[in-house]
Amino acid sequence: MAIVIREASGLDLPQIMKLEIASFANDAWPEATFHSELDAPHTYYILALEDEDLVGYAGLSKLAGSDQADIQTIAVREDKRGLGIGRQLMDALTLEAKTRGAKEIFLEVRADNSVAQKLYKVFGFKQIGTRKKYYQPDGVDAFIMKTDIKRKYNSEPVVLGIETSCDETGVGIVRGNQLLANIISSSMDKHAIFGGVVPEIAARAHLEALTPVLNEALEKANLTLDEIDAIAVTNGPGLAGALMVGVGAAKALAVATGKPIYAVNHLVGHVGADILDRGELHTPTIALLVSGGHTSLLLVRDLLNDVVLLGETIDDAAGEAFDKVSRVLGLSYPGGPEIDRVAKDANPAAIRFPRGLTLPKDMEKHRYDFSFSGLKTAVARHVELAESKGEEISIGDVAASFREAVVDVLIKKAISACKDFDVPRLLLGGGVVANSRLREVAKEQCEANGIELRIPPFSLCTDNGAMIAAIGAQLIMAGRAPSSLNFSAESTLPVTIVQS
Amino acid sequence: MKAPAASTRIAEYALAIDTSAGTTVAVLSMGTVLAELNYLEPMTHSERIGSAIQKVLKDSGIQAKQIATVVVGVGPGPFTGLRVGMAAARYFAIGARAELAGVCSLDSIALDFYLANPGQQPLLVTTDARRKEVFWATYSGVVDGIPVRTQGPAVNKYEDIQTFVDVSTMATTELGVRAGALGQIAFAQGLSPQGTNSEITPIYLREPDAVPSKGKKVSG
Ligand SMILES: Nc1ncnc2c1ncn2[C@@H]1O[C@H](COP(=O)(O)OP(=O)(O)O)[C@@H](O)[C@H]1O
Ligand SMILES: [Mg+2]
Repeated sequence: MAIVIREASGLDLPQIMKLEIASFANDAWPEATFHSELDAPHTYYILALEDEDLVGYAGLSKLAGSDQADIQTIAVREDKRGLGIGRQLMDALTLEAKTRGAKEIFLEVRADNSVAQKLYKVFGFKQIGTRKKYYQPDGVDAFIMKTDIKRKYNSEPVVLGIETSCDETGVGIVRGNQLLANIISSSMDKHAIFGGVVPEIAARAHLEALTPVLNEALEKANLTLDEIDAIAVTNGPGLAGALMVGVGAAKALAVATGKPIYAVNHLVGHVGADILDRGELHTPTIALLVSGGHTSLLLVRDLLNDVVLLGETIDDAAGEAFDKVSRVLGLSYPGGPEIDRVAKDANPAAIRFPRGLTLPKDMEKHRYDFSFSGLKTAVARHVELAESKGEEISIGDVAASFREAVVDVLIKKAISACKDFDVPRLLLGGGVVANSRLREVAKEQCEANGIELRIPPFSLCTDNGAMIAAIGAQLIMAGRAPSSLNFSAESTLPVTIVQS
Repeated sequence: MKAPAASTRIAEYALAIDTSAGTTVAVLSMGTVLAELNYLEPMTHSERIGSAIQKVLKDSGIQAKQIATVVVGVGPGPFTGLRVGMAAARYFAIGARAELAGVCSLDSIALDFYLANPGQQPLLVTTDARRKEVFWATYSGVVDGIPVRTQGPAVNKYEDIQTFVDVSTMATTELGVRAGALGQIAFAQGLSPQGTNSEITPIYLREPDAVPSKGKKVSG
């Protein structure tokens, strides 16, 4: 399934010609032309392969001494379009153009190919002219498009990221892959008496926290707004009313300062957090994101182009389950740390609570999905039953047994994903990562299976603006054009949309 | 924030923003509207706000950094929309190094009413608060460019307003919130001896909908 990008050689010509003819019908290049293109020193041709199968190719031309490069061609097999392969090819070509010293990249595209034009616009290409009836025999015009590398390829952009998707107001600042500031204000305490996040309370708290959090972040990074290159903001997924506070603020800040804005996916942000911890993200990786709002298992082959949602909770999020069970046991909010506290030294095997979606039939249909609502009910029943019989229960044992059930399912499914996709890496993110047992079991299981475990520091695991800034910086370094100012807050934004 | 400093700055350029109903933004110079945009749809604030501000700046030929005051409507209005404009105002003010001033959104309706109907007649302003209720305030007229609010803002069922004021003696209006009018009021307040309205917390008038958890018992 994984897409591999590598440079093409003459040996690849037969495969390439097949795809060339399928893709360009009337204006396919003759084999001889393609052959000399592949051989020429001033060109760079790359292939996208899936299990040795050619699914796309692209080529660049850059004459020595010139600071202009041309994209010669790009093709993606019809059944593999819309999966980010075109973007991966473009990423590789633009990087090569930059390495070869180009300042501008030009290309021609059929006037009637709006899909390709859209892809180029993502990379900052703008139409600068038209060649009438350039494509023959169809008589279709060519649009000439150009992008400016020098301006876009800021090697270490300073990006300010704003996060308001749930109950943390976060503003973070990064320079390239490096963390400069990460200020978080949580409204957690205000939700305590309600036993869970109340969206309206979270949104009100965001509005109050915006200004102090921004000022503090700038102070921490020792920067003024003039020194920021771009603004990034979470536009989903999350609580709609909460997201809108950050989106409104970020857009106004962008207009007031004249800086470009990038609308970023919150879940991809959690994956990007690891960049700030170790300076780069190692891919492919499986990512398990567990918080009060999410329980998602992702396959990340490429942070910007290839993130797939393998599964998620079909009812409660894992953190939510901790919070609800904590309430059942008469403990306070947030439940995670409380359960962790009373479970310490207690017996995790005292009660065998159900493991959601782990039966063989579930493992077929919901292999990577989670369900915690049945578990929560089982704990409540257990407590009620004991009470009605007048029996004492050991809160510690119940908590430890519950925690064991959650951790067991989370890690089992994450490890299966690593094995199924042959990915030797597991990255954890989200507030539940604070759980001591989760860390312990993850470590054990990863070691036993030869999987590298990554757990960024807690301030980067829980919701924060720095991870959003990190994605913004990655987008800029990959040459992506800023988002339009009209993007919206999307509470159910899919993980495949990294930038809106 | 000292009143004199604010009033000298407000005499330059101001950006006014309100999302308590639709999305309305304006650029003013010395209390005169240079450009204004009004979107009536009640649900698109977060989409519109960025390009709306960008457009009024462009239409007025003013650059963001020339804005000395950001005037924002602080409601009352449906919360989710209201907050978008207030969040935008806060960050625009930081980005442009401008002062922030808040004005009750209903006051802009009163100002527009009295501009169209000169005189000191009593006025009842209402806006939709959903859940079969209205946000409302009453006014006695305009003094030195500032509407004189006599009651409110408050939220009630329309029928219940009668228990606070004699509705039958009051004029009503179909006018809506307008950013330009908010900017004019802030300008007048900046020049008047009462000083500026530096109250920039939202007027919610309702508590969040949430019931404190009783603890325990979640099975079934
Ligand atoms: N030690 C812990 N063990 C398990 N869950 C925890 C622990 N610490 C925090 N949590 C849970 O993490 C959640 C908060 O994490 P966070 O990333 O802020 O999520 P969100 O903002 O989506 O609610 C809460 O549900 C809380 O109970
Ligand atoms: Mg949180």
